[in-house]
Amino acid sequence: MNDRPAVIMLVDDDQDFLDINESLLVASGYQVLPFCDRESAFGQICRQKPDLVITDLMMESLDAGFSLARRIKQEPALADLPVIIVTAISSQLGFNFTPRTPEELKSLHADAFLEKPVPPDKLLATVRELLK
Amino acid sequence: MTPSPGQPTAPERERILVVDDEFGIREGCRRVLTSEGYQVQTAADGLEGLETFRQEKNFAAALIDLKMPRMGGLELIDAIRKEDPDIMLLVITAYATIQTAVEATKKGAYGYIPKPFTPDELLLPLRNGLEKRSLALEAKRLRAERERRLLEITEERSKLRTIIECMTDGVAVVNQDKQVVLENAALARFLPEARPNSWPAPMAALGYPELISILEEALKAGTAPLISSTEITLDNRTYMVNASPVAEPGHDPFGAVAVVREITAIKQLAVAKSMFISMVAHELKSPLAAIEAFLDLILSRPESMTAEKQQEMMERCVLRARNLRNMVTELLNLVAIETGHLSLKRTPIELGSVVEEVVELQRPKAEAKQLEMILDLPEQQDTTQVLADKEALSCIITNLVDNAIKYTPDQGRVDVSVSCDEHLVKLAVRDSGIGMTEKERESAFDEFYRAKNKHTASIPGTGLGLSVVKRLVEMHNGVISLASEPGQGSTFTISFQSL
Ligand SMILES: Nc1ncnc2c1ncn2[C@@H]1O[C@H](COP(=O)(O)OP(=O)(O)OP(=O)(O)O)[C@@H](O)[C@H]1O
Ligand SMILES: [Mg+2]
Repeated sequence: MNDRPAVIMLVDDDQDFLDINESLLVASGYQVLPFCDRESAFGQICRQKPDLVITDLMMESLDAGFSLARRIKQEPALADLPVIIVTAISSQLGFNFTPRTPEELKSLHADAFLEKPVPPDKLLATVRELLK
Repeated sequence: MTPSPGQPTAPERERILVVDDEFGIREGCRRVLTSEGYQVQTAADGLEGLETFRQEKNFAAALIDLKMPRMGGLELIDAIRKEDPDIMLLVITAYATIQTAVEATKKGAYGYIPKPFTPDELLLPLRNGLEKRSLALEAKRLRAERERRLLEITEERSKLRTIIECMTDGVAVVNQDKQVVLENAALARFLPEARPNSWPAPMAALGYPELISILEEALKAGTAPLISSTEITLDNRTYMVNASPVAEPGHDPFGAVAVVREITAIKQLAVAKSMFISMVAHELKSPLAAIEAFLDLILSRPESMTAEKQQEMMERCVLRARNLRNMVTELLNLVAIETGHLSLKRTPIELGSVVEEVVELQRPKAEAKQLEMILDLPEQQDTTQVLADKEALSCIITNLVDNAIKYTPDQGRVDVSVSCDEHLVKLAVRDSGIGMTEKERESAFDEFYRAKNKHTASIPGTGLGLSVVKRLVEMHNGVISLASEPGQGSTFTISFQSL
């Protein structure tokens, strides 16, 4: 572990998921910045770059998570900021955003794509992997 | 002169008119013919004969003497023939007038019987003549029948043509030589390129490769009653093309027919339906995922949080589960409305009194948030009569008041008022709450829509309340409107026709 705890930004319009993930990550020694909308989250990122972003996919619009990820990755200063997209979207029914290949994942500007609810161990493992 | 009623009624035979000035011949003929079963009338000269013919009508045959007073046989034959082209005419003649008899046959008499004659010499030509007449009549009947059928068929054809032309589905028929032989107006409307200038036209004149290849398939299908359904999309419109060979049972097909129906609207509906299902699934999955995640966290690492935190999370689970159940109930309501299973019992009812009931029921919730809730009803409640279903009214008002309380921060104010004029009874629910942006207002009545901002994040809801309200209001021919600005509160107004 470094001298300072890694800063993880959570973006989700569902207060409960912010709560759940905050509890989990704080208990694992991370510092957490919860945000419930994409705009204020992006503003904060620009002011102070966190170490990782975990964003929900479907917020004010169907693909708010994607556009947040795209804006991050297209900003040269932020391009190396890892982004995890999580979603409860039903993959069986028409919308299937779940990327199947690393290329697809990259085209979504995400470093990981997880389905809600993410088992705590899996979320922690993914976070650890991306922070290496 | 009619046969006496006492006569034995043998099977009815033809009626025969005997015209002769010799009493002996007349009565002789009568006896012979009557005994054969014919019905006989006699006349003593041409004029009397013509009168009898005109009065009695439908004689099958007439036996006519040529030389008679007042009116001769030839003249009588002419007169009768003019009026009845089918009657069989036999001339009775003495040798001296055979020449005239020949002339009579030229005028249309069947033959002649020279006087004197035996019964057989009378009966034989009579029978032959009658037979020839009935054959001729039958032929004539058949001919008339054929002409009538022909007329019917032509009429039928033009009827069919009209029907096909008026169909809302497009129709195109091609023959085995790949020529378009028929096409209706609807097809030309759907596929404007597809109208050839004249028929038969080569199939390529249809102009649409998709349609042409479908018809070619059907032509190749042989006698198999192939019916292929293909969807084609042209200019953003979707058509269903049904094609089948055209064949009479047991014969080779002589062409193929395509029926083209526009299904753009149905298609859009299907897409909308899948979207809706996806949305429902997402809305159901989110709270379930939250509940699962809470429980997973509590179970897998209880040591990482305080007992209070755990308690708080459990409470959130209960809330989410309850919200989920509410959503299912509202979804079922929505389905009941959509499928028409919700039967409204509309009776005259005072809107004011229902509003009063609902407001009092909701008051504790308002008080818990220290909201001031003010009810303003007209002096005379009976002026607020509307024709409505009580349950539905309650549901409408409950949802609006519930929203007003939910979306107004503590210490705010909710005003519920009922007013009426000559034609309308109006309900207004106004709050001093968070209000809505223009975009939020536009979507407020959509299924599952919930404004997402920092104020609403912690307020539970399914986003179905207003969509149910809107439908119920419309089922009562009412109108709902919404005025709201962010931070300025919202006013929902409903107008019903007054009774
Ligand atoms: N009085 C109000 N003030 C501000 N926003 C409102 C008001 N009423 C409704 N809204 C907005 O419209 C949305 C849709 O309302 P609706 O009643 O359909 O759903 P809901 O209240 O979220 O859920 P529920 O189905 O439980 O009623 C709300 O989520 C809210 O954003
Ligand atoms: Mg509501």
